[in-house]
Amino acid sequence: MVSCRQNNAQRIVALDERAEDFGLKPGMGIADARAMYPDLEVVEADPDRDQLLLESLADWCDRFTPLVALDGRDGLFLDISGCAHLFGGENAMLAEILCRLTHQGFDVRAALASTPGMAWAAARYAKGDCNVSPGQEETALAPMPLAALRLEEKTRVGLESVGLRHVGALIGAPRAPLARRFGRKLVTRLDQALGMVEEAITPRLPVAPLSAERQLAEPIGTREEIEQLVLILARTLRQDLERRGEGARRLLLSLFRVDGAVSRIMVGTSRPQREPLTVAKLFHERFSALEGSLDPEYGFDLVRLSVTVTAPFEVEQTDLAEGTACEEEEFSLLADRIRARLGEGAVLVPVLAESHLPERRARFVPFGKEVGAKEAIDPAEKIRPIRLLEKPEPVEASAEVPEGPPLSFRWRRALYRVARAEGPERIASEWWREDEPGPTRDYFRVEDMEGRRYWLYREGLYGEKTAPRWFLHGIFP
Amino acid sequence: MARMAMAQEKLFALRREIAKIEGNLPERFAAPEAGAGSEAVLRHYGRLASGAGFSVTGAPRLDSALGGGIPRAALTEVSGRATRDSGAVCGFALALAAIVSRTGAGAQSARPILWICLGDMLSEAGFPYAPGLGSFFGLAPDKLLLARAGRLEDALWAAEEAARLGSFSATILELRGNPAKLDLTATRRLHLRAREAAQPVLLIRHSAEPEPTAAPTRLLVSPAPSPLREALAGPLPRSIGPPAFAATLSKSRTGKDGTFVLDWNSHDFAFQERWPAGERRIVRESGREAQNPGHLAAASFNGPDSAPAARARLALRPERRRAG
Repeated sequence: MVSCRQNNAQRIVALDERAEDFGLKPGMGIADARAMYPDLEVVEADPDRDQLLLESLADWCDRFTPLVALDGRDGLFLDISGCAHLFGGENAMLAEILCRLTHQGFDVRAALASTPGMAWAAARYAKGDCNVSPGQEETALAPMPLAALRLEEKTRVGLESVGLRHVGALIGAPRAPLARRFGRKLVTRLDQALGMVEEAITPRLPVAPLSAERQLAEPIGTREEIEQLVLILARTLRQDLERRGEGARRLLLSLFRVDGAVSRIMVGTSRPQREPLTVAKLFHERFSALEGSLDPEYGFDLVRLSVTVTAPFEVEQTDLAEGTACEEEEFSLLADRIRARLGEGAVLVPVLAESHLPERRARFVPFGKEVGAKEAIDPAEKIRPIRLLEKPEPVEASAEVPEGPPLSFRWRRALYRVARAEGPERIASEWWREDEPGPTRDYFRVEDMEGRRYWLYREGLYGEKTAPRWFLHGIFP
Repeated sequence: MARMAMAQEKLFALRREIAKIEGNLPERFAAPEAGAGSEAVLRHYGRLASGAGFSVTGAPRLDSALGGGIPRAALTEVSGRATRDSGAVCGFALALAAIVSRTGAGAQSARPILWICLGDMLSEAGFPYAPGLGSFFGLAPDKLLLARAGRLEDALWAAEEAARLGSFSATILELRGNPAKLDLTATRRLHLRAREAAQPVLLIRHSAEPEPTAAPTRLLVSPAPSPLREALAGPLPRSIGPPAFAATLSKSRTGKDGTFVLDWNSHDFAFQERWPAGERRIVRESGREAQNPGHLAAASFNGPDSAPAARARLALRPERRRAG
C-alpha cells in the first residue's frame, strides 16, 4: 500500500489487490485504514522515482516502436502504425507487450484503438475486450463513464450533476449547448476519442530518419560481438544512405538489455559518413571510453543503430593529386575518433574574429562545426602572447608611477620582480557591442629577472571611482 | 692486444645489434676511428644543411651536439623545471615544431599540428592563443587542432593514433609532472610510432623530474632574458626583444650535452645562439644571415648569462628550483 500526504493527512494513493479485498480505497486516511487492519504495510509515495520508472519503461517500449509518448504519471502511448507487422500483427504485438511486461512484474492494462483518446478510455474502462477496431468507437465509448473522456474534475462533476453519466449521453446530445455550458474542451475530447479530430502524441525521443535493428534470439554481451553487429547494421544503413544521397553526421546505438534497461551510445562525425568500417571504428573508440560503465549483465537482445542527423553527402571526385583531399579526410576521421573516445568537446580549433579585445579575437570551437571564412594572421599585428589564460587572473602589483608599468607582482602566490617592461598598449572595451562597456585596459609586456615574459594589464584609470586593478592575461614564450 | 681487439669487435657487433633493435642510428655505436668520417657536416649558406631525418635548428653548436639537428622521426622531450616556466617550455617546443614542419617532408603543403593537453594544463597555463602562435611561430589558425584529454591513457592513445596517421606536421603532448604511467614503455611506444610514420612527436613535461625515457633527445628548457630589440640606431634600451631560451641538452643521440642560450628568430624560423659574454663572436658567413641581425645583440642585458649557472644548478640541486 502506498501513502501520500494530501491536505495535511496521510492518505492512500495506491494499493494492491489484497488491500482492495479488505475494502480499502484510494483516498482513505492511513489512520483509518490502520485502525481497521493494524498490520498494514505502508510505503511512502515517491513521485520522482515513479516518473523515472515510467521513463525507463518507455525506453524499453522503444523496442516496439520509435513513437513512445508519456501520458501523465501512469500511462504510455505507443504509436504502432507501420510496426505491427514486424511482430505478427496488432493483436500478437499487444499480447507480446502485455506478456513481457507482466513477466517483469507490472500490473498492466493495454488497449488497441485507432485514436489515442479511444485507446486511453478502453485501457481504463473497457469491460471485456479492450481492442476497439476502427469504426466501432461510438459503440465502445457509449457505455463508458464520463471519466473515460480525460475531462477535468470540474467539468465531469458538472456533467454528472445534470444527470449525464455516460459518454453515450453526450454523443447524442446537441453540441453547441454542451460547448457553451462546459467549454470547448469537452467537445474536443469527445471528437478526439471518436477520431473526428486528429490528436498527435508527443514522442519522448526524436524519431531518427533512418535506423536498422536486429533482434537476437541469443543475447550478446561481449564488446566484440556488439562491434561486429554494429558493422552489419552499418552496412544495411549504408544502402539507405546511398539511396537518399546522404551521409550520417550523428549516429545513435541503442542497446536493449534483456532485463529492460536501455543503453544509448551516441557518436558524431565532422563530415557526413557512410562507410560501415568508419562507423564501426567510431563506435570502437566509444566503447573503449565507456569500458566498465557499459554493463551487459544478462546481455542485449535487441540492437538498433539509427542515424539521427543526416547531411547531404558530396561524392568527391578523385583527381590526380588526391593528396590534400585524402589528408583532410584522414584528419576529420582521426578527430572524430578522438571525439568519440575523449568526449564531444575534446577536439577544438581556433577561430579568429574581428575584435581588439584579446579574448574575443580568438576562441576555440569544437572541430567540425561550420565556421565562417578562415582568416590568416596579419604579420603586422601587435605582439601577442602564445597562451592566453581563460580568465584574466588578478595579481597584486606595485608600480613606480601611477600610470607606469609594474615593478613587481604576485601571481599565484609567487613574487615576480619585473626587470623590463614594454607598454602600455591601451585597449578600450567595445562600447558598440556592449550595453555597459567594461573598463579600459592598459597592457604591458613584462619580463621578470629570470626571463619569464608575461602580459599584464591594469584595468581602469587612475582618478576614477574604483582604484585600478592589475591582471595577468597571457604568457609569452 | 689481439684479444682486446677481438673483444672490441664483439662489443661493437653487439652494440650494433642493440641499435638495430632500438632503432638508433648505428654510427654512435661504431668504433671511434670508424666514426670519424660521419662527423663531416653539410653546410648550406653557412648553416648546417638538413640531413636525412634531421632539421637544423640554426645554432651550430646545438646542431652538432644533436648530431645534425632535431630528429624528425622521433620522440623529443622538452621539459621544464616548474609550471611557471610554461611559456618558455611551450615556446621552445613550438619552435622545434616550426623548424621541423618547415624542413620536413611535405613542407610545401603546410600540415596541421595536433596539440594534446592533459588534464588541467589548459586552465593552468592558458589556452593556446592563435594570434601569438601565428606571429611567433608562423602557425596559421586553421593548422592547429587542440585536443583535451582527462586521462593520461586517453592522451597517450590520441598521440599514438596521431603519430601513426603520419599526416600531421607534429604531434605535441603536453602534461605536467611525472605520471607513473608515462614510463619507458609508454615513451618507447610513442617513439616507435613517430619513427614508423616519420613524424615528430614532442612531449612537453612541465615541472618534471628527469627520469628514464625512450626519447632519443631530451632538452631541459628554462627561460632566459631576451635580447634587446634592434632598431635602426642600435639596440633599444630596456626593450624586450625576441624570445630567448636556456636549453640544456640532457640526452642526445651523440651523447654530448651542454647548455645553450638560444634566441628565436621568428622571421627565419631558426634559433640563434647567444655566445657567452666573454667569447662573443659575430658569425656572418653569408648575406642571408645579415638580414636578421638578431644575434648581434648584446649578450645579456640584465644579470649574467645564465647558461653556465643553469647547468651547474641542474647537476647539483634540481630540487630547489621547483618552487613554482
